[in-house]
Amino acid sequence: MLLSSLITLGGEYISFGRVRPSHVHSVGFLWLLSAGVSLIYYFVPRLCGISLALPKVAYASCALWWLGLVISTFSFPFGTNEGWEYAEVPMWVGYFSPKIIFTLAFILLAVSLLATVANRVHRQLYVSIWYAIGAILWTVLNAILGFFLIWYVPEGINRMNTNFFYVHNLVGLSFTPMGIAAAYYFIPKAANAPLYSHRLSMIGFWTIAFTYPWVGAHHIIHGPVAQWLQTVSIVFSISLIIPVWTVVFNLFATMKGHWDKFSESVALRFLLVGNLYYLLVTLQGTMQSLRNVNEITSKTDWIVGHAHMALLGAFSFFAIGGIYQMLPSLTGKKLWSQGLADLHFTLFAFGSIIFFGSLFIGGYLQGLQWAQWANGNNYLEFRHNLTIFPFLYTIGDMWFWWLLRAIGGVILLLGTLIFAINVFNTVMLPAREEEAIA
Amino acid sequence: MSSDKGWIHTINRSALLTAAGTVFLFALAMFGTVIIPHSVEDGWVKPSSAYQRQMYEVADGAFYLSNRAVEDRGELQMVYHLKEGVNLLAFQESKTVRIIAPPELERYITRSGDKKLKLTSDLLLLQEPQGEWVQVAQELKKNLQTEDQGEKIDYQILQLYKPKGIEAFSRARGDGISEEWVDENFEILDKEVRQPYHADHGVIYVNNPVEYRISFLKLGGMQGWEYDPKGEAITDLEMLKAYPFEFLSRKELIRMGEDIYRVEGCWYCHTDQTRTLVQDVVMNGAAAEPAPPSTASEYIYQNVSFTGTRRIGPDISREGVKRPSREWHRGHFCTPRTESPGSIMPRFQHFFDDSPLETGPSPYKVPNHKFEAIYQYLMTKGTRITSPTEAWWLGKDPVNTKAIIDRYENE
Repeated sequence: MLLSSLITLGGEYISFGRVRPSHVHSVGFLWLLSAGVSLIYYFVPRLCGISLALPKVAYASCALWWLGLVISTFSFPFGTNEGWEYAEVPMWVGYFSPKIIFTLAFILLAVSLLATVANRVHRQLYVSIWYAIGAILWTVLNAILGFFLIWYVPEGINRMNTNFFYVHNLVGLSFTPMGIAAAYYFIPKAANAPLYSHRLSMIGFWTIAFTYPWVGAHHIIHGPVAQWLQTVSIVFSISLIIPVWTVVFNLFATMKGHWDKFSESVALRFLLVGNLYYLLVTLQGTMQSLRNVNEITSKTDWIVGHAHMALLGAFSFFAIGGIYQMLPSLTGKKLWSQGLADLHFTLFAFGSIIFFGSLFIGGYLQGLQWAQWANGNNYLEFRHNLTIFPFLYTIGDMWFWWLLRAIGGVILLLGTLIFAINVFNTVMLPAREEEAIA
Repeated sequence: MSSDKGWIHTINRSALLTAAGTVFLFALAMFGTVIIPHSVEDGWVKPSSAYQRQMYEVADGAFYLSNRAVEDRGELQMVYHLKEGVNLLAFQESKTVRIIAPPELERYITRSGDKKLKLTSDLLLLQEPQGEWVQVAQELKKNLQTEDQGEKIDYQILQLYKPKGIEAFSRARGDGISEEWVDENFEILDKEVRQPYHADHGVIYVNNPVEYRISFLKLGGMQGWEYDPKGEAITDLEMLKAYPFEFLSRKELIRMGEDIYRVEGCWYCHTDQTRTLVQDVVMNGAAAEPAPPSTASEYIYQNVSFTGTRRIGPDISREGVKRPSREWHRGHFCTPRTESPGSIMPRFQHFFDDSPLETGPSPYKVPNHKFEAIYQYLMTKGTRITSPTEAWWLGKDPVNTKAIIDRYENE
């Protein structure tokens, strides 16, 4: 969970740089993408009114999925990192190719799910299906681009720009639509209320499809790319407010008159807090893309906080809420322990605030410290600032925030363990008697 | 739904149109932000200077180094692999170096009074005078010392000769990072332009290549080898690269260094870009000159570019200028905190081998090829943007960063 306390550990295989991609891929692929896909498998057949088409293809996809991703994720300490952020998946681990196997798994998944949609009984497409179709197709295209085609792009900034296009699409066109699809399906279910506006959800979907893939270059503002490209990414980052606001408003408006369910259903609590984090993280993303804000926040731990608020705050909360809502219906049993689920939410709610807060404050201060070097009127004055306050001091001043982050991390880890136990026991243990009656 | 007709309603119900729309919008964005910049931005594929191109395409492949000579020392042996018609050579006399040659080779020598540096891509080498030339050299030395009037200079007399074959190995000196560069007052003696780079405004050349020879030695119980002008000649590249010499070209080392930078995940903590921000050009600057911001053309010779997203270690984009010392990096990779107190960088002890002289684990480590690779990779950072004569740290920054950031000059 948190590696900064282990950061200075020596040893060839356990240094921070070798372990970090395993953490990122555990969270991004092994957990979030898998959870998102499992929820899609759950609600797409239900919304289509038929059972899953080509189940054998889906089983094959599942087998390849875990084989490819587990080997890929835990091979990084042994030196298989391919060097592109979020696309570190190795082409070869011995004679095994996680990259090809995983891509194949996703294509098989796409075949099975799109065939389900094509053969549906309910002609009307619910919002979640659009997002699911989008997420599936975008992930396939994006994986082919970011995993394979990038090596045929000319060396240098072209490749890097392609990678940032891929990176932001993975977040914006895979994790986001998967999370929103789940929220659109499970929030009305859990609240037992109709969606506030179908028209609004449509505006949200098509504006997100239009704007999201253009923002990749905002990862390299002030960097070695053309100013016009930076400006394009900023303009589209600002316009992201439209799809975000429509989604967030639509989901909260659905709750109107049903807020009593918030305290009853742990699923709903996760989904709605996820919705709140989604609003915060995307507004933050828009702000960070502005050149003057970016000057302070970029490359600091603020950005680490931002990434965690997206993947942990928004999309993991959506996925966890979806899983809590889905489990009883899948297993035909009530949750093993409602109390532990409530505790899980409480730990996550407070743990995440500490975790994000420490990174935002620490990162912001770090950015201000760097900006201090620019105080003065000429180079000698700037240089003097650096001499009296060198770079290393800005790292030394982070220890308090990293300690706070570690505390938040431990709370989140505890919550995750409770979640794992609860899910495992719900699935594996026989239903309790009193629950069977209820 | 308010109406059941109209195009919105059609899209609303059609999975096919939804799928087509999502793919189309994805492709549109890819076209706008990936394909268009590639075709309109020249700097994304063009080298920043003739110097940068020659360093990567000519010099790096011709320069070989090994740290395996005497195993406990970790000292570098450096060799040029010279090819007929490719590498430019200069035979230049100085106060202490004098060159003797048969009449047909006289024209290649740049004497002290010559206005232009004479360069050639004909394969010629210098060596300790041999055979009949020993006598000539001794006489020349005697004459020179008489002219000295008691200054007692230790003259080095070298004999110019034409080696057999089309390739040869010469001893390289200097820091192993930079190359000799000339951009004015030079002439290339070749009849025609034999390599595209020979037509550039400036060229990299090898100054006074002396034949590389090796002799084996024993120190205590240890085997070793070292440069020896009277030793055994290197006959081919295979011999140079094989045990016990184990030379690697700078090209191989830089690529290997990039691979190490990649798999070790250095790029999760270090950025590799000087941004267009005052704090960045100051942080990466030299004592009196700010660093120019990174441009796209600096990255074109990399397989993977690590501009980075987080900076909890210093930026490396001007590392070759900020920290050029091999000794500093040697200590720093081995135990970062002794060189930078308070550093959070992990120790990279697998870049080092135990000294064979020590029994048991010892803090005194000998660099292996991994260290040389990462060191060479880092030394390319910021040092190759323009030629050494036009270097930014000499105040000849191509975008004149200082004038842009100095506020009183702008008002």
